Amino acid sequence: MDGAVLYLADPPQSSQDRSNGGIMMEQGSNGTVIRLRALSKHFGAHTVLDAIDLDVRPGEVLAIIGPSGSGKSTLLRCINYLERPDGGTITIGPTTIDASMPVERAELSKLRRRVGMVFQSFNLFPHMTVLRNVSIAQERVLGRSRAEAEERAMQLLSRVGLADKAGQHPGRCSGGQQQRIAIARALALDPEVMLFDEPTSALDPELGLEVLAVMRELADSGMTMIVVTHEMGFAENVSDTVMMMADGDIVEKGSSNQVMRQPQQERTKRFLRAVHDR
Amino acid sequence: MLPAYEELVAWLPELLAGLTISLQVAALSLLFGMPLGLLLALGVIARSRILKTVSLVLVEIGRGAPALVLLQFIYFGLPATGLTLGSFTAAVVALAWNTGAYTSEIIRASLQSIPRGQRDAAEAIGLTGVDELRYVLLPQALRVALPPLLGFSILIFQGTSLCFTIALPELVSRAYEIGSGTFRYFPVLLAAGCLYAAVSVPAAILVGHVEKRAGRYAER
Repeated sequence: MDGAVLYLADPPQSSQDRSNGGIMMEQGSNGTVIRLRALSKHFGAHTVLDAIDLDVRPGEVLAIIGPSGSGKSTLLRCINYLERPDGGTITIGPTTIDASMPVERAELSKLRRRVGMVFQSFNLFPHMTVLRNVSIAQERVLGRSRAEAEERAMQLLSRVGLADKAGQHPGRCSGGQQQRIAIARALALDPEVMLFDEPTSALDPELGLEVLAVMRELADSGMTMIVVTHEMGFAENVSDTVMMMADGDIVEKGSSNQVMRQPQQERTKRFLRAVHDR
Repeated sequence: MLPAYEELVAWLPELLAGLTISLQVAALSLLFGMPLGLLLALGVIARSRILKTVSLVLVEIGRGAPALVLLQFIYFGLPATGLTLGSFTAAVVALAWNTGAYTSEIIRASLQSIPRGQRDAAEAIGLTGVDELRYVLLPQALRVALPPLLGFSILIFQGTSLCFTIALPELVSRAYEIGSGTFRYFPVLLAAGCLYAAVSVPAAILVGHVEKRAGRYAER
């Protein structure tokens, strides 16, 4: 458990020397963890993503807001190729994938191990124990031994406050607990960036809170995060940067203060008004 | 109408020997047929055109043709191509094919019943396609498929009775043989029927039990 405590105690570090679970980060040429260029996605004639360019710095917490159908979730799913983009490039650390070329699953696996993903509906494996949920990818993808993987899994479970659930099946856990386990599962690969796809939307407000607390702790520890969210509090108070999307396009992007308090675009103002009026 | 006690005692060794062969054919057909069904299920949902086509053809013939026709085709038809199989082997091949075709549909449907999010999660944590199947999809799908697979196993056991048409000395053949020797067709077939029931009914009760438990994950 020492490792976990140490890791937890790591103060937010500068982008230059930030380590991730003991593994030094490899960085893109100009200090970006994620770099998207002209990323596009169409469903039939409908344009879901219209040539998106995006850079995310190490340690940056980016919140993506916007109405349903604006392409936020699709953008997130394209970053780790759960959705195949039609064009553009994705660069994560030293790995670049050109969406216009066919990609092997092995190549994708390399990309995906750098990226942790947390889903709206948790998607834990119901037939595995909580511990196995967190250890399986370490064994199969990173090649860690069973003992090593389980030790790390226990560290992560205590980090999200659920070490006592290790032997249970996810079905016995509350939604908030399941989502925290899903976060531990995603962290198990020591990702360079974490993607959250509306992580609290399926939870009642109280359970959502415990998930947000874990995410805030993660953000404070210096993790690079992209969070698609309807939690305006998180966007305003935890994220560094906020990006507003509508109709497959980036409407506006800037510091969270600026976008949330002094939005420049009419579309953003309208959206934020609608959210606040509820 | 009913067999006399002495008759039963006289017939039973013969009938039990037949039952043994029926059980052997059923067991071997399932032993080969279910893995075949798994492979065919994967083949049908595979991305490769060739794999998909071959699997589909095998499944559609195996399901489309009555088991009786498959049996006759393999036992009487194949020798024309130079491949002659004994009646036991022919029975196992035909019923394994039949099993493979039907169970592949059961397994395919179970695989497709697993929520999309499970695939997303497996892919997102970087599992390879094989690992995704092995650790995430199949364990869940087979749990869903278990009751129908067991139910189908009972059907195949009963289906072995068709093998009397290719002179395999299984339960029905033996009963007929005794019948033709004694002209006590009805009593001996009744006895044979009771033997089928003695296996099938407890098996069906077991399946009902499994059905209730399937899908419920071990809880501690």
